[in-house]
Amino acid sequence: MAPSVERSFTAASTLEEAMAARRQGAAVLAGGTWMMRDPLRGVDLPGAVVALHRIPALSKVDIEPDHVVIGAAVTHAVLGRALHGAAGFEGLVAAAEGAANPGIRRIATVGGNLCALDFAAADLAPALLVCEATVELETVEGPKLLGISDFLKDRHALLTEAIVTRIHVRRDLVASAHIRLPLRKAGDYPVAIVSLAVDKDKRCRIAVGSVEPVARRWTALEQAMAAGPASALDPERTAELALEHNDFQGRDGKEVEGWYRRQVLPPLVKRGVAALLKTEGLA
Amino acid sequence: MTVTFQLNGEDCRFHGDPMTPLVDILRQERFLTGTKAVCREGFCGACTVHVDDEAVPSCLRPVGLVQGCAVTTIEGLSSGNQPLHPLQAAFEAADAVQCGMCFPGMVMSLSAFVRDNPHASRPEIKAAMVGNICRCTGYERIVDAVADCLDQARKAGQLVGGIHV
Repeated sequence: MAPSVERSFTAASTLEEAMAARRQGAAVLAGGTWMMRDPLRGVDLPGAVVALHRIPALSKVDIEPDHVVIGAAVTHAVLGRALHGAAGFEGLVAAAEGAANPGIRRIATVGGNLCALDFAAADLAPALLVCEATVELETVEGPKLLGISDFLKDRHALLTEAIVTRIHVRRDLVASAHIRLPLRKAGDYPVAIVSLAVDKDKRCRIAVGSVEPVARRWTALEQAMAAGPASALDPERTAELALEHNDFQGRDGKEVEGWYRRQVLPPLVKRGVAALLKTEGLA
Repeated sequence: MTVTFQLNGEDCRFHGDPMTPLVDILRQERFLTGTKAVCREGFCGACTVHVDDEAVPSCLRPVGLVQGCAVTTIEGLSSGNQPLHPLQAAFEAADAVQCGMCFPGMVMSLSAFVRDNPHASRPEIKAAMVGNICRCTGYERIVDAVADCLDQARKAGQLVGGIHV
């Protein structure tokens, strides 16, 4: 056990208390599954932390007829259970129920998954990108809403003072799917992640995680698909388009090299479209 | 900082760094060495304990987050003077335990699973085990024992971990 350390630990019971600790320099502790491994990465644990799990509003999933609000302290396991069977959320449920392993999913939170800055393989990021989710932040000026694409791009700067509090998702999807390629059944990070969704206007949205340092929408492929016939959601044809419009720069990692992450995308897209076609919304 | 929680049904008080992994307190302060610290990354499952009845990796649980919680370790599942947990008895009967390094974690993960999933299928049992790595590769025998445990409990209309099956 490490020698005794004088560390500030605040289990905030209100957002105001959390923000006060944040202003004094405390790092946000979510489920702990990323931060607790800092020492293994050669990084010291923060001298002050603030935990959000005792703030009731951040630990619940509100399901309304036209939208869903997910608290940042909701765990993957709770999110998967809450949205199980909800039409259009098949991909988000698969992401929540397929990430890491069951023990991790019981403690790792939605907010932690989106705010771990150096974690490229966050399952919820591409799944929420295709939902076109909105991230709610608590800032020194008050609450702020930001599209998830902008949040992921700017989170390094945003999170220096803000806290992610909730994720807002419209219920405008007909179907969605989440495909991941780990090297083993569990216990490693996926080589690549592809999330897909079809909205009520029959537009297909695709996002990719783990291939580049930050998850992003595959707009080149989405545009190519939109240029074709609306009814032609075909796995083989989509895989061909994915090969033609593959604009990703794969990141090298200890699991695999970047070229491999990039190269597996077309077959993953093919699997993803096949999974979409099996959902209730499109079958 | 002082953190208080219930440990195997008794009050436990810890003074020190609130970011100390729970597994270190269990092993080094409370001498509950059934909980194994192996990968320390949440991947192997050997350090699994129950926190408020949920099976979680204690290597990634800072003790500050268990303030006020109930923690149960493998030692708390059955004291030794009591009958074994039905799952422990099933593992013993099936001679499923090999080196014993992964096993406390296996029991803690799967005892919560059978409690919550009394009608689990074989694929569901396997899915529940993906976070518990066994280097002796005894998985199939473990799955057999869990399936037998659930089957026997169903036939007898018994409880497994508090839930009628």
